[in-house]
Amino acid sequence: MRRLIVLFGIGVILSSAAGAQAYHRFWVNCNYDAPTFMTTMTRDAAQDYANAARYEGYQWGGGCWNYDDVDSYPYDPPADTSTHGEGGDCSGLTFKTWRESTDTWRDGRYYWRALRNVHGPYDAASFRNGNGAPNHVVAKSTAGVMDAFASSTHVGMVFMRSLYGGDQIVEAKCEACGTNIFYRTYRSDSSYGGVGRWGWTG
Amino acid sequence: MRRPSIRSLAGGAAGITSGVIAGVVLTAVSAAGPPAVPNPPALIDAAHVPPLLRMPGEPLRLRYSIVCTPNDGGLPCDGSGTVYIRGGDGGQFRPFALRRGHDSKEGRYYVDVPAELASAAAGFSYYAVLRDDSSGATVTVPSGGADTPQVSLPLLDAIPVGLGRHLFGRVRAPDAQVAEASWGAAPQDVGLAGSRELGYSGPSSFDVEPDGTVDLLDSVNGRVMSWRRDRREVVTLGGAAELADFAVDADGGFDVLEPRGTLRTFRPDGTPKWSQTLADRTWAKLAHGPSGPVVLQQPSEQWMPVADKGTPLTRSAQARAAHDGKPLANGHEIVVERVGEGELRVAETASRSTVLRAWRITSDTPIGEVQLAEPLGPRMVVVTKTYTDDRDEFVVLMLDRTGLAGSFSVASGSWTETAPLARFRLTAGGLYRLRTTESGARIDRFDLEVPR
Repeated sequence: MRRLIVLFGIGVILSSAAGAQAYHRFWVNCNYDAPTFMTTMTRDAAQDYANAARYEGYQWGGGCWNYDDVDSYPYDPPADTSTHGEGGDCSGLTFKTWRESTDTWRDGRYYWRALRNVHGPYDAASFRNGNGAPNHVVAKSTAGVMDAFASSTHVGMVFMRSLYGGDQIVEAKCEACGTNIFYRTYRSDSSYGGVGRWGWTG
Repeated sequence: MRRPSIRSLAGGAAGITSGVIAGVVLTAVSAAGPPAVPNPPALIDAAHVPPLLRMPGEPLRLRYSIVCTPNDGGLPCDGSGTVYIRGGDGGQFRPFALRRGHDSKEGRYYVDVPAELASAAAGFSYYAVLRDDSSGATVTVPSGGADTPQVSLPLLDAIPVGLGRHLFGRVRAPDAQVAEASWGAAPQDVGLAGSRELGYSGPSSFDVEPDGTVDLLDSVNGRVMSWRRDRREVVTLGGAAELADFAVDADGGFDVLEPRGTLRTFRPDGTPKWSQTLADRTWAKLAHGPSGPVVLQQPSEQWMPVADKGTPLTRSAQARAAHDGKPLANGHEIVVERVGEGELRVAETASRSTVLRAWRITSDTPIGEVQLAEPLGPRMVVVTKTYTDDRDEFVVLMLDRTGLAGSFSVASGSWTETAPLARFRLTAGGLYRLRTTESGARIDRFDLEVPR
């Protein structure tokens, strides 16, 4: 019996060799429910939605999070979709916050719940170019609440402009910094362009 | 050695197999992560841009965003609130209920300041208590509430400065290059992180000591590189600090403000001293205050001390000691407000409610962030950004009682991302600028004429 217990313990230790891969499991919490078609979409409701994603982490190519204010799997290797961690990436967060469709030709409003795992068809560069029916380029100096600034590598939404001329930006920034509201100077940075969502109702 | 029997071999295999299965099951259970939380907990946040410096006769509407728990219907917050306003910076506050508007592009909730308060010669002060009516959660803006209300001052004698339309490409070359390092992890190098797909970050901030020593926060490698006269020194801080802001204390210690809002302090040898969480959720800039580090924080939009003579302040103590302006050693403050697309107002104030001198700067080209606004002798030095949709340059303005005493443009020179307002430092020895290129980082100095 003693030997059986010892060998059982060895088996448990051996099983941990596979543990390096086993942590990539946040997506088992996610779902693939259909979005809810909406007739309204206000900028402050978008602020609510993006603000609630704060602290939920960052996942390259991701778009699924819960609301426990903890990144369940921080510090994954960057630029690796297969890690399946919690959080959206910059374009996934923007896509869901802006209630867009996975069909680029649709400009309606589609409400995706937090645990719905969807990234959408746009990367940061696509947003910067105003690609897709719901998106368009705006002059940076006129960008307001929940418009966005996008470069070839990143997109973040204006939570509110700020006293010193920068902006409070809500963004999924990186594995180490997660999703949060940061003070940024994207507005005056020539590598960033202004982007807007058609169809705000208030 | 006794030869094992078939039975014992089978028993051993069964033990290992069951152990592996149990281990895998336990790992899978633990790796499944915390249980999904179907509904977010009640939360409330806010945003507000205070009109700190007003021109006489301007209509005065205070706007607020109330941000709360998203609801399944996708509708905005069911909010309300009260703004407490008083004339000047003393006396009783009067409550005014916020009204709910149809549009939220600048904040859905608003109140128009009554004319008798808006026109008060000493300005008015105010704070707001905002509420999510569906959860009952409340938030006060600024965080210090009645203890440190925002003060809105009339600019009766602001000196006008018209910049006209900016001409890009006429940048001034620096007078000296005071520090330089190539990308890398070797002791003489400065760290670079990221990729073409993710963007790059490098040294995120720097500081200049009174004796001219230049200290660069090598954020990626988690260390400080110092150029002290003709020799270079490296102090390890023990961990990366990407996009952090940075300041050097009078005793040679280091303050590192991390992106998530924790100020970490280190002794001159790099050993940790203490750390403290900021009062507000977001920060814009770390600077030297009269008795320790001060941080410009949002949503309060106020400068808050994080320590008092070396002792860290609690979050509530930070909020209670906040100022609208950046505090100076002589007790004065520098108040800054960017207005619209191309206007910048700067004032030096005393006792929170007295404007000593002020400038109203207007530009036909949009103005971006204010990197720096500090007095230098009798002048005020302002470094801001001017931009179009595809170009940008810094503009250095030297202001005096006649208006614009001098100005020049500086190339933006940002190949990597830094802390937001950490590109320039001003000392009696000149204006210093952090610049990064594909090959590395450098710090340049621009000499400024200082009249006596």
